[in-house]
Amino acid sequence: MSVAVRNRMSYGRDQRLRQTLRIFFHGGYFSYRALFNWQSPRFYVPTMLAGPAFQVLFFAYLGRYSHVRDDAFYVVGNAVQVSGMSGVFGVAITVGGERWTQTLAPLLATPANRMALFLGRALPHIVNGFIVSAFGFAIGRLLLDFHPGLGTIPELAVVVLLSTTTCTAFGLVVGALGLRWRDVFTIANPAYFLMLLFCGVNIPLSALPKWMQVVGSGMPLTHGIAAARRVAHGASLSSVDGLIGKEALIGLCYFAAAYVLLRVFEAEGRRRATLELV
Amino acid sequence: MAAIEAENLRRTYKQTSGFLRRRTKTIEAVRGIDFAVDEGELFGLLGPNGAGKTTTIKMLVTLLIPTSGTARVLGSDVVDDARTVRRKIGYVFGGDRGAYERLSGLDNLRYFSELYGVPPKVQKQRIPELLELVGLTGRERERVEGYSRGMRQRLHIARGLLHDPPVIVLDEPTIGLDPVGARELRHTIAELARAGKTVLLTTHYMYEADALCDRIAVIAKGEIVATGTPAHLKSAVADRTVIEIEAYGAPEDAIRRLRDAPGVTSVAVEDREHAQLLLVQAPQGSVLTQQLLGHLDGVRVGRVTAREPTLEDAYVSLVTEN
Amino acid sequence: MRIARLLAVCWWFQLKQMTKAGLFVFTSIIEPLIFATLAYYLFKAGHRPGTLLYAALSAGLMGIWTSTLFGSGGAINFQRWQGVLEPLVASPPPYALILFPQTLAAASIGLYSLASTLVWGRVIFGIPLHFVHPVAFAISIVVTIVSLGVLGLVMGASFILYREANALSNMLEFPIWIVTGVIVPLSLLPGWIHPLSWILAPTWGYRAIHNAALGGNPWPGIGIALGLAAVYFVIGQAVVVAFERRARERATLSLV
Repeated sequence: MSVAVRNRMSYGRDQRLRQTLRIFFHGGYFSYRALFNWQSPRFYVPTMLAGPAFQVLFFAYLGRYSHVRDDAFYVVGNAVQVSGMSGVFGVAITVGGERWTQTLAPLLATPANRMALFLGRALPHIVNGFIVSAFGFAIGRLLLDFHPGLGTIPELAVVVLLSTTTCTAFGLVVGALGLRWRDVFTIANPAYFLMLLFCGVNIPLSALPKWMQVVGSGMPLTHGIAAARRVAHGASLSSVDGLIGKEALIGLCYFAAAYVLLRVFEAEGRRRATLELV
Repeated sequence: MAAIEAENLRRTYKQTSGFLRRRTKTIEAVRGIDFAVDEGELFGLLGPNGAGKTTTIKMLVTLLIPTSGTARVLGSDVVDDARTVRRKIGYVFGGDRGAYERLSGLDNLRYFSELYGVPPKVQKQRIPELLELVGLTGRERERVEGYSRGMRQRLHIARGLLHDPPVIVLDEPTIGLDPVGARELRHTIAELARAGKTVLLTTHYMYEADALCDRIAVIAKGEIVATGTPAHLKSAVADRTVIEIEAYGAPEDAIRRLRDAPGVTSVAVEDREHAQLLLVQAPQGSVLTQQLLGHLDGVRVGRVTAREPTLEDAYVSLVTEN
Repeated sequence: MRIARLLAVCWWFQLKQMTKAGLFVFTSIIEPLIFATLAYYLFKAGHRPGTLLYAALSAGLMGIWTSTLFGSGGAINFQRWQGVLEPLVASPPPYALILFPQTLAAASIGLYSLASTLVWGRVIFGIPLHFVHPVAFAISIVVTIVSLGVLGLVMGASFILYREANALSNMLEFPIWIVTGVIVPLSLLPGWIHPLSWILAPTWGYRAIHNAALGGNPWPGIGIALGLAAVYFVIGQAVVVAFERRARERATLSLV
C-alpha cells in the first residue's frame, strides 16, 4: 500500500496517465502471449476456429432434429456465444491462470494501476472473441441455411462486438472467481456451457421455466443474441436499441463486479496467503 | 562381461524455431563417448551442467535413441533389445517430479511394481523393505503432493529398486537435497554397491564422486576427457600448485592476461559474496605469486594462498583445459 | 494372464488417480447435466415427448466421449507435467499396454456422466427409466466404453509425440458427437459423412445402447463395435510403437 501511494505522489499527472496506458496495452498484450501461446496457429486454429465451427454445426443439426427453429436461429445464437471461447476461457486462463505460472504474486507486488492491469488483460480477448464469432457466422453462411442480407452485416457487427465485450466482462468475473477457488476451469467450463442453456442460444427463452428466464435475462449475451437475430432478419439497429441498451448495462455491471471481486480477493489473498497456492 | 558398455555413443538434437521460416539447428549433446562399467562397480559420470550427462543416461535407460554408436547393458543393446534392458535397469532421476502427486507413495510403488512385473507375493514383502530402506515407513499412505523434496527423491529410489535390478542408474540423485538428506542418500547408494549392484551415478558434486565412486569419467562438452579412480585423477594434477587469489572486481581482460601468463595451466573463477576467487593452477615451482599479481595490476586483491591440489582442482583443470 | 492382470491393475490405478482429480469428475457430471437439460427443453419445445429418455441417455453418452477425449489427451500431458512419462516409457511393458488402461479409465469415468444424466432425468424431469432390454443395455454400455477407450488409445498415441496435439482435443468434442449420431440421427447428416460414421466404433456402440434402451435389436451394433474396437486396438498399438520410437529419436519425452 505504502509503495503504491508513494509512487502515485512522485509522478506527474501526465506521466501517470501514460504509464497507466502502457500497463493497459503492453501488459495485456504480454500476458496474452505468455499465457496463451496464441501466436501458434497450431493452437489457435483447432481451439478458436475449428472447435467453435463444429459447435455451430452441432446445434444447427440438433435444432433440425428437434424441429424447434430454423438454422438461422442456431447459427446466430451459437456464433455469438462461441466468442465465449475467448471471452470466458481465454480471460479465465489469463486472469486465473497466472496462478500456475506463479506470476500472480510478483504481478500483485507491483504498484501498477489495477484497473488498467485488469482491463488490459481483457482487451485482446474482446478483439479475438469478435474474430471467433465472425468465423462462426461465416461457417453458418457457407454450410447451413443462413443467408443474411449483405446490408445487415455492419449493424450485425456492432451487436456482435457489444456482445463479445459483455461476454468478456463475464469472463473477468469467472477469472476472478478462479483466483479465489484455485482452479479456473472448475468454473469456466460450467460457465461456458450454462450460457448455452440460459442465454437463449439454443432454446427460445419462452420455452424455459420462469426462473430460468429470470436468470437468463441477467446473463450476458441474452439480449445481444436476441438483438443479433432481429438485425440478421433485417431489423435496424434503432429498432433493437432497448435490447442493446440492456446488454450494455449488463456488461457494465459484470465489469464492475469483476473489478470489485478482484480487489476483494487480492486483499483477502494477501491476508490469508492463498495467492501462491497452486 | 562389462555391465554397461558405451561405444562411440553420439547424440545430437535438432532444434527448430520459427513457424513460417523454420530454422533447424543441430546441437551435439554427446560427441562419441566410450566407457565401460564393470559388474559390481560404482561408476561416476562427473561433469558440469550441460556436459551431456543426462543425455548419456537417457540413452542407456532406452529413453533416447543414440544418433550413432552403440550401448549395451549386461549384453543387451539399448535400441534393439530395449525391453530386456528396461527389465535389468533401475532408473532414478533427481528433482521433485516423477510421481503421481494425488496418490500415496505406496500406490505409486504398487503401480510401478505391476509395470515391472513384480509378482504380488514379492511386492508384499519388498515394498515395506524398500520403504524402510529409504526411510519412508509410516508416511507411505500420504499423498505424494504433501511430500518434501527429499521424500520424493527417496520415493524415486525405492521405485528404481522395485524389481531388484542388477544395474542401477542414478541421474543427479542428490540435486536439491539438504546436506543431511544428501548424506543419507549417499549412504544408501554405498549400501547398494556393497550389496553387489552395478551403480552408474551422475553428479556435479566433487565430494560426492570422490566419496562414493570406484571410478570416475569426467565429461565436458559431450566428450569424456578423463577416466580413472579418484586417486588417479588427482595424480594428474599432483605436480601442480594451486594459488588462490581473492580479488575484488577483476575485469575480464585481467583474467585473460592471467590465463595467458607463462607457466599458468588454468584459471578458474568462483564468484563469492563480495569477491571473486581466482584459482590459478601451475606446475610446482614454475610461477611466482608476485608475477601473477603483476597481471592483476589495478585490481584490488585480498588474501593469496598456495595449496596442494584436490580432486576438484583435477576436475576444474580437466573441464577447463579441454 | 499376466497381461490381463497388468491391464486390470493399471486400469484400476488410473481410475483412482482420475477420480481423485475432483475437477475431472465434476466436469464429467456437470457438463452432461447441462446438455441433458438443454436437450430436454429443446425436445419438449419441439413437441417430442417420446424422446425425453433419449435426451437424457444421449447427454450421458456425450459425456462419455468428453471424458474419453480429455482424459486420454490430458493423461499423457499430465504425465509429462508430473514427470512420470519417462519412468513409464522406461518400464518393460510395451507402452500401449500402459496407455490403454488409462484411456479406458478415462472412458469409464464417463459412467458418472451417464448415471448422473439418467438420475437427473428421473428426479428433475420425472422421465421414467424404462429400458427395453436391460441386459443388452448393460452389455452395450460396456462395449461402448471399451470402443471409446480404444479410440482414445489411437488419439493418445499422437500426444506422446506432438505436444500441440493437446489443442486438437479442444476441437474434437462436437464433431464426434455429430458424426457418431449420439443425439442427432445419422439420417439427418449429409450422405458423404456416413462412411466416416460407419468406421467409428462408438457409432455402433451408441446405436446398440439406443436400441437396447428404447427398442430395436442391439446385438448387431454390439458385434460391429467390438469388431471395430479390435481393429482399432491393433492399429493403436502399432501407432504407439512407432510413435514411442520416434519420440525417443526426437527427444520429445521429457519436454514440458
